[in-house]
Amino acid sequence: MTDATQNNADDNDLDTTIYDELPDAPPKKRLKLSWTGKIGVAVVAFWLVIVVIGPWISPFHEADIIGDDSFMGIWTSTEGEGVHILGTDYLERDIFSRIMWGARMTIGISVLATLLAYLIGVTAGIAAAVKRGWIDMVLSRVNDAILSLPTIMLGLLIVVALGSSIPILIGTAAIIYASSVFRIARAFGQEIMVMDYVESAQARGETIWWIIFREVLPNAAMPLATDFGLRLVFVVLFISSLSFLGLGIQPPAADWGSMVRQNLEGLQYGSLAPVWPALAIASFTIAINLIVDDISAKSGGDLARKMIS
Amino acid sequence: MKNPNDNLPTIENLSVVDQQRIESGLRHGATRREVMGWLIAAGATIAGAGSIVTSATNALAMSPKKGGKITFASDLHGPNDTLDPGLNTSTIDYTRGRSFYNSLCQINDDLSTRPELAEEYSANADNTEWTFKLRKGVKFHDGSDFTADDVLFTMSRHYGEKSTSTAKTLVADVKEWKKVDSHTVKAIMKGPNADLPVILGTPQFKMLKNGTTDFQTANGTGPFTLEEFKPGVRSIGRKNKNYWREGAHVDEIEITAITDKVARTSAFLSGDIDLMQALDPKAIKKVEATDGVGVWSVASGAYFGICAMTHTAPGNNPHFVKAMQYIQRRKKIVKSILKGQGTVGNDHPINVAYGADHCSEMVQKEHDLDKAKFHLQKSGITAAELNVAEVAPGITDISLLAQREAQKIGLDLQIKKVPNDGYWGAVWMKTPLNVVTWNMRPTANVMLNLAFAPDAPWNDTLWKSEAFGKLLIEVRGVTDAAKRHEMYCTMQKMIAEGTDDFPGSGMIIPAHRNYVDGKSDKIEGIGRMPLGSLGGYEWPEFAWRTDV
Amino acid sequence: MQRMVFHRILIGIITLWVVSVLVFLMTNALPGDVAQIVLGQSATPESLAAYRAERGLDQPLISQYFGWLGNLLSGDLGTSKAGGASISSLISERLYNTMVMAGIVALISVPLSVGLGLLAAMFPGTWIDKTLTFGTLALISVPEFFIATFMVLIFAVNLGWLPSVARVSAEQSYYDWWRSMAMPLLVLTIVVAAQMIRMTRAGILNVMNSPYIEMAILKGVRRKRIILRHAFFNTIGPIVNVIALNLAYLVSGVVIVETIFAYPGLAKLMIDGVQTRDLPLVQATAMIFCGAYVILIILADVAAILSNPRLRNPK
Repeated sequence: MTDATQNNADDNDLDTTIYDELPDAPPKKRLKLSWTGKIGVAVVAFWLVIVVIGPWISPFHEADIIGDDSFMGIWTSTEGEGVHILGTDYLERDIFSRIMWGARMTIGISVLATLLAYLIGVTAGIAAAVKRGWIDMVLSRVNDAILSLPTIMLGLLIVVALGSSIPILIGTAAIIYASSVFRIARAFGQEIMVMDYVESAQARGETIWWIIFREVLPNAAMPLATDFGLRLVFVVLFISSLSFLGLGIQPPAADWGSMVRQNLEGLQYGSLAPVWPALAIASFTIAINLIVDDISAKSGGDLARKMIS
Repeated sequence: MKNPNDNLPTIENLSVVDQQRIESGLRHGATRREVMGWLIAAGATIAGAGSIVTSATNALAMSPKKGGKITFASDLHGPNDTLDPGLNTSTIDYTRGRSFYNSLCQINDDLSTRPELAEEYSANADNTEWTFKLRKGVKFHDGSDFTADDVLFTMSRHYGEKSTSTAKTLVADVKEWKKVDSHTVKAIMKGPNADLPVILGTPQFKMLKNGTTDFQTANGTGPFTLEEFKPGVRSIGRKNKNYWREGAHVDEIEITAITDKVARTSAFLSGDIDLMQALDPKAIKKVEATDGVGVWSVASGAYFGICAMTHTAPGNNPHFVKAMQYIQRRKKIVKSILKGQGTVGNDHPINVAYGADHCSEMVQKEHDLDKAKFHLQKSGITAAELNVAEVAPGITDISLLAQREAQKIGLDLQIKKVPNDGYWGAVWMKTPLNVVTWNMRPTANVMLNLAFAPDAPWNDTLWKSEAFGKLLIEVRGVTDAAKRHEMYCTMQKMIAEGTDDFPGSGMIIPAHRNYVDGKSDKIEGIGRMPLGSLGGYEWPEFAWRTDV
Repeated sequence: MQRMVFHRILIGIITLWVVSVLVFLMTNALPGDVAQIVLGQSATPESLAAYRAERGLDQPLISQYFGWLGNLLSGDLGTSKAGGASISSLISERLYNTMVMAGIVALISVPLSVGLGLLAAMFPGTWIDKTLTFGTLALISVPEFFIATFMVLIFAVNLGWLPSVARVSAEQSYYDWWRSMAMPLLVLTIVVAAQMIRMTRAGILNVMNSPYIEMAILKGVRRKRIILRHAFFNTIGPIVNVIALNLAYLVSGVVIVETIFAYPGLAKLMIDGVQTRDLPLVQATAMIFCGAYVILIILADVAAILSNPRLRNPK
């Protein structure tokens, strides 16, 4: 890339940046995707289709124990049953089918948990920023306490105490990751609360809720969105790390992270059984982040600074 | 759908029995040609049979070499590691106990006993009084002498309200321990019991110095002295130079654990550890194909069980239990989950490993969905929840297999996976359907007494059969072999099927598992005692390295 | 700034107290207690009662908590309810191990990832940037235990170059020590570096969008000079914050690496403590983790203030 085109690109950013900083700037609507972003959209779309139709198009049921042996290789077949496109897992189940079924579990849980984490984190963060005082103090200290403890051990505590059902897993992941969102949202909230347009809204006598919904949230939305991608990866990994402690999704349901874990020993015997679900995780999470990268490249402004501090 | 392989015997089904046969055959003078004949009949190739026989012959021909270090990795350790034998519950504790302490009696591979710290022991005519003559000149690691007072102190820790012993029920029928002189003690029994010596050979009854209270160190009489004890990290023992018999062959023993099974197997395959506990059966193929390491599999009576509590639904419905028994794909479990390292179960704990007490004439229950469906419909039950923790490797998979079969007969069997920690306190014997695993016990009577007697504290299903309890006590005094066998047979049928007047125990026992461990080819002297891993934890004193 | 540091320390102490209460409540909510877990399948009601009495577990919860708090304030961490060893003896060696591992990983990964992050930010959209972005994303999205197990298989089982487990001990030679530590260090470096590279890149690109940088660009200052002279110093604050969070993770969150390499560190000890319901042990490790977190965050804030003239002299 030459300096000339570089400057050119920066000029474009300049326009948007200035526009961005106008008071009451509307959130941006249009988004141009780079080629990596387009690949990301394609991959995510593919997995979303699988989420919907996976169980119907998969050759076997996720819980079918039908193979001739554990860790059969790719494109092997069991007499009377059919072909195992990606081989079989440790319990003689069809890996291809389990990935199809597992898409629903993995993507469903991670997306729901991340959304819930945002709901909790943003609400609490903005509440802390808006209300200040002792509410801020209590929320911030509890939040610090959660952040300072290792996620896997918090997961262990909650899941063991309450049992490992899907709603509890989603709730656990949401609470743990809400603490990071809280920091970002609170910092944003504090900054926005002292801005002129919010002060003028307060002067106009608008209620606190009006201010939050019409002024604070729209301005914080884009930056928060960029954090979403990484958070989503962390949730997928968190669920798989619970399976490391023997917790996590209830068997026989498949989720990709646990599939990697349960079939890990297959690596020792030259089986690719853990590699396929790992690839599925990687493809989905990388795709999401490629899209997010495009969003963050366009949205400019304060986002990543908040995201990481 | 039924797997066509279900009905075919495989080499895996036979291999452990064969291994034992080869070893004992060679010991008793079978020729190489004879042994190879057995192996080939069992399905081995000529080349494979040849190498097996060669290694087996070599092992027997060699005499122990001295020196070197053995590193052993167990599957579990943590802050609860203990040097207090009375609190031992895990393989790593038992192995440490064997290294630093001694018992009064030692258990042989065939479950008979031989003298250890008790030089001689005998009972009176009706087995109500046992006398133990203690070996003289045995010294604790701190240099003091081992005497009758130490035995009395040790045993007193297993009685009374303040006792935290994990084995107190085993010796509950000793009324009194008496000191006769400085090197003789007597045990006065509440009733006849011929099993006391073998019970005293179990790990919890290791002899302590009178008055010991500090268990951060180990002042025992054992073949190793404690060099380092770090809970959850490792223990190191050095050869005890003042041992009362020949003693350890190696200079140093390191006892540690690698809790992740894949990592443990990797460490074993790459030679970083010499012995590993709990080798995943799926790794057998890989281990056998790797130079320098081998599988140490010992057939035993250890079992997996699904417990249907009899005091509540659905287990109080005998038809439900029968349906659960008939959906078990026992051969498939042995073939696919245990990879041949086990034997099919018949819904009672006394398998062929218990010898004459096993009821060989009882009909083996098979996978039969028609019968299962019949009983399920009679029970009227359509859904149940099974609580599962991976308390023994493979038990989750066995439950998942049952779940698929249950679906075929219209039973919605939900699997609720719960964590291992807390399982014994909060789930086992508390929830209507749960799983259990039991190690093998030295005798059928001890096993049944622990888990099936109507007053047993660990009666898995709260099965209160007074008739069974009566038989169990009666049989202790029976000396006629045929009569005794018949009585044990009746008891096994009562557990599995029930009688006309009283339902069965609610236990579903689909399989018995071997102890499958890993042993480097450089280590010899590991026994085959079937009460625990690596020959019943007895190896520290007898194992030796071939490469020193 | 002294006032600010003092204020943060005070808040840190409150956080420590909140953590101790949270951990106490949550651990007590778990099914089963330490007696049931230690005695396991062989427990009887009688032996459970005896065990609880022996270890003081029959006391009311409140007095157990305040007993622990009192001892802590007088510098006594108590004894393990599970094994009976003193907590300080359980912790001391592991604390050292954890610090050594975190320290070495930090020394390698911080310069590495700041360097690579800068590199990616200097050439955004080029193949260097795309490769780094794709590589770091790929590494972030693969579970640690997969990376670790894969490496063990290659370097220990197949090639035989390195030991498969990091069983470190005092008698080891330096050479052996480094050989045992090589793989865990490498895995952790990969895991934390991937995140830090991504964050450094994002931070710098973000500052590149600020008006004063735009101004510099318009004035015709060369891009490299902008990044190294202007953007980088203004990103130090956020980057140091990311580094601090990652270091806190290296102290407390590396249980998977510790488990796979059987490395005796604090994170695994805490999980073991939870699994045996050994409350004093869990509390002690939680205090260390929370303390480390608080200190690292304060240091990051101080670094941010020192690197930024505007924050150094507030209006």
